[in-house]
Amino acid sequence: MSLQTDKRDFSERTTDGLGDSFMRNAVGSAQDSLKTRRLSAATALGDWEQWRTAGQQIRQHTLQNLDYYLEQLAGNIEKKGGHIYFAATKEEASSYIRDVIVQKQAKKIVKSKSMVTEEIDLNHVLIEAGCELIETDLGEYILQMDDWDPPSHIVAPALHKDRRQIQRVFAEKLGYTDDESPEKLARFARKVLRQKFLEAEVGITGCNFAVANLGAINLVTNEGNGDLTAAIPKTHIAVMGMERIVPTLAEMEVLDNLLCRSAVGQKLTSYITVMGPSAAGDTDGPEEFHLVVVDNGRSDILGSEFNEALQCIRCGACLNVCPVYRHIGGHAYGSIYPGPIGAVITPLLGGYDDFKELPFASSLCAACTDVCPVRIPLHEQLIRHRQNIVKENRTGSMERFQMKAVGRLLSSPALFGKTLRFAHPASRLMSKHGRIVRGPELIRGWIGSRDLSQPVKQQDSFRAWLDKRKGESGQ
Amino acid sequence: MTVLRNYHTSGNNKESFLNTIASKLGRERRHEVRLPDIQSLLPDSYGSLTQDDLIDILKEQCFFIHTQVIESKPEILQRTLDDLIEASGGGSVMISGDPRFAAYGLMFPGSFVWEEAAGREQNIMRAESADTAVIFADYALAESGTIVVESRPDQGRSLHFLPAHYIAVIEKQRIVPRSTQAAAALNRRVLTGEPLGSSINLISGPSNSADIEMKLVVGVHGPLSATYVLI
Repeated sequence: MSLQTDKRDFSERTTDGLGDSFMRNAVGSAQDSLKTRRLSAATALGDWEQWRTAGQQIRQHTLQNLDYYLEQLAGNIEKKGGHIYFAATKEEASSYIRDVIVQKQAKKIVKSKSMVTEEIDLNHVLIEAGCELIETDLGEYILQMDDWDPPSHIVAPALHKDRRQIQRVFAEKLGYTDDESPEKLARFARKVLRQKFLEAEVGITGCNFAVANLGAINLVTNEGNGDLTAAIPKTHIAVMGMERIVPTLAEMEVLDNLLCRSAVGQKLTSYITVMGPSAAGDTDGPEEFHLVVVDNGRSDILGSEFNEALQCIRCGACLNVCPVYRHIGGHAYGSIYPGPIGAVITPLLGGYDDFKELPFASSLCAACTDVCPVRIPLHEQLIRHRQNIVKENRTGSMERFQMKAVGRLLSSPALFGKTLRFAHPASRLMSKHGRIVRGPELIRGWIGSRDLSQPVKQQDSFRAWLDKRKGESGQ
Repeated sequence: MTVLRNYHTSGNNKESFLNTIASKLGRERRHEVRLPDIQSLLPDSYGSLTQDDLIDILKEQCFFIHTQVIESKPEILQRTLDDLIEASGGGSVMISGDPRFAAYGLMFPGSFVWEEAAGREQNIMRAESADTAVIFADYALAESGTIVVESRPDQGRSLHFLPAHYIAVIEKQRIVPRSTQAAAALNRRVLTGEPLGSSINLISGPSNSADIEMKLVVGVHGPLSATYVLI
């Protein structure tokens, strides 16, 4: 799958999401539990705000000097006998990886969870090249077994499925015969996948952060699949978005703490590994190590008004507090990156043509900005997108006309006062039992899922009441 | 911009890639950067703790990460480990080639040792068939209940992941407050040019996942259980 996961209209996708009561319950309770866990892990760190500032400064410093750190990284990887490849586009990235694998005549590939490999459509490319590719993260394995159902959360990709659905998928596709307990399902997957690890010729992982002065990558995981993917196959290919880099282990430590606590509410996840090309005398780990650095639109964000979006460390905390994500769910965004950060970066990576609705899928409540461990002003960036989209005349002509009318109305006190006076009689034809039931596009969007009261009569309005009260108290 | 035009044919994609970045940042390429002092921003909340405090913090945290902690002593370490192996059903054991096994006089009859001479396939196969792995920690991090281990010819990466049960022996003097101290110590080695193992593992308890309905399952691809033995 590439960046775009669903080509249908945004309104169709959201209607689907809103109508899926199972998914909405699952997302709601996941949000509640992740929010609470994040808060307690953040509080435990002591001065969380200070840590956020440190995280922000590390990310900004690295972005400002990205060419320097990538060059240092490349030098150190090569010094250790590893290969590093810089891919400007997603096609370059996935064809490089395909070529490495084809040259080795390798067929069996294990992968650990990586969003950037979704972005470069790697699975599709490798399967087309005749490889047997297995996603080994439990959530991603479930999605793969369910005919590559798209992920719906950055950290918990199979959040939208319940245990019975998973049991059914395992039974149909893998001959699973036990009950639906998560423990038994996970043990079953462990057994199936253990064999895949041992047979694999190539292991593909993402990269949470590359460490520039060491020439290594950092993986932050819980299941142990990432480490097995990098330890057992003779070739390890790691893929990273070009901005996911830190100067040294000291900055990595700060960001790992922010990441683990923000993503899953753990102080540190079970496995935090710093790994690179094998050293002399190593008895496992890769004999051949490749790191693929992916631009794919990121350099266009660099130095632009959206620069801060590149600070993202993919913790998913903004998804877990977002009221819109809560109700429409991950799939409605139609992107592998859902939620507030998805609404910011998806249009940047994929363009307004396909994703112009996403910046509007927000209440601008700023909960995302508050929770972001590296202080990305997410809601401000959403507003900036909206301004661009309006400036480029990408909104419908009807909406533009209506907004112009509303703008004129609101900017003239005299006109506004007059309108209020006539609002009640004017809305009589559109109303039933004190509620507005029909109207132009702007109103239809609201009354489709919410009540809208008919404006009150002039003599019952707040202004009339206030004027009367002022008169009574003699002010 | 000439560089951009040559991008696809030059083969030297690194230069054009990095030049693009510099030009988007509106400046020439940078070949020297001064790293700002970020650490001074962060309060040192563990500064005044004693070694005993750290042990208490470690033990408390291990409860939250589903990890058993056993206090032992060098004199009885062999017995402690034998009992633990027995308790998880006995079976085969694989240890690392760490010299501390000999230093503490530890012996596990019939066990395998991860060794360079055995080669890749053998070592991986032995680890996969082992019921329990026993290793020594380089550091332990009190706050997060983490042990730090480094890959070496006599201690492969997959030794920490393939066996069903995982036992780490922690010498108390190796407990530090948190990840900050371990990262700083490792980074000092990088800066002085001392080589590091090709894999540094920070391990906090057994493998786990909450991918199914957010219900925590302990024991996924890595070990099903983890035990720390303090000496």
